[in-house]
Amino acid sequence: MQEYILLMVGAALVNNVILARFLGLCSFMGVTTRIDTAIGMGLATTFVITVSSMANWAVEHYLLVPYGLGYLRTVTFILVIAGAVQFTEMTVRKVSPPLFQMLGIYLPLITTNCAVLGVALLLVEGKMTFIAATLFAFASSLGYSLVMVIFAGLRERLALAEVPPLFAGPPIGFIVASLLALAFLGFSGISTT
Amino acid sequence: MSIDVPAPEDSTDPLQPELVEGLARVVAVEGRLAWLEPEQTTSCGGCAASGLCGAKGIGTTASRLEMRRFPLVNDAHLAVGERVVVGVDARALLKASGTAYALPLGIMLGAGGVAQWIAGSDGITMATMLAGLGVGLLAARWGARWLGARGQLAPRFLRRASAGETCRIE
Repeated sequence: MQEYILLMVGAALVNNVILARFLGLCSFMGVTTRIDTAIGMGLATTFVITVSSMANWAVEHYLLVPYGLGYLRTVTFILVIAGAVQFTEMTVRKVSPPLFQMLGIYLPLITTNCAVLGVALLLVEGKMTFIAATLFAFASSLGYSLVMVIFAGLRERLALAEVPPLFAGPPIGFIVASLLALAFLGFSGISTT
Repeated sequence: MSIDVPAPEDSTDPLQPELVEGLARVVAVEGRLAWLEPEQTTSCGGCAASGLCGAKGIGTTASRLEMRRFPLVNDAHLAVGERVVVGVDARALLKASGTAYALPLGIMLGAGGVAQWIAGSDGITMATMLAGLGVGLLAARWGARWLGARGQLAPRFLRRASAGETCRIE
């Protein structure tokens, strides 16, 4: 149990997808102008990363490794991720059309989010069991959502601050992101091995 | 076919809940109803129509915007082709996200945890998680019906969009 907790803390905080691995930066800058939209995007991404990582683990262990198809890994994972996003879209649309109309804005953004593929490839590197892989993917996406929400909160405050005109907009956003990354470096002092 | 369309509210009322705004274009007018199509944004938050980076969710269902058309009561006498700003209650957006994503995910992970604890086998855990996902999606359906019955999922017309208004998700 302790091993799983350390794995999750390591994935969410120490090796954060955005601030330590620099994945998913596009949505990090683009969808963090409000906390509400950041939470929406974070939840959608958490769902897709977890589900697609489970599918990718199964494909890796029951198809790619036994048949020596490791060279097709990246292409296969991209297909699986696209399928997972498509499945999520279709399901939300079937489950509730109003929900689909309301939340559909986030789904196409996830297809082009490199964090989803990055987490899947990290799972292969880690040679994890199914449950460990699922928890790692879930924790990684929780870390992604956490940083999105923190950054959105900072940007909401920045919008009210008096920023010099030269720094207004994306420049001050990048400076704040770098400070946030420095703050998260503090977690690297936690030993998770 | 009757369509349940929420009555428009006074968007200038300061006591109204905070709204998440988005841009939409009027694509059809049928009697008292105007059909709107949301403007798609890209992963960088810019407008897909401006062709900034081409990341428009290629091949995804939601990238076909006609599937996300929605009706509004046309009290503002909107004409086809007009761009308007619509809004949804920020709390409703959070509830909807929780219902659609967090609920199925929570049930799926819970089921997987229990299966792993009892059986300790990858195959059984996988099968149980799939079943948990199915149950979670059913629960999401009930939750969405409950939210829909309270009229919380319907966008509201706020104002006509100005000429240079960008289509960021704000």
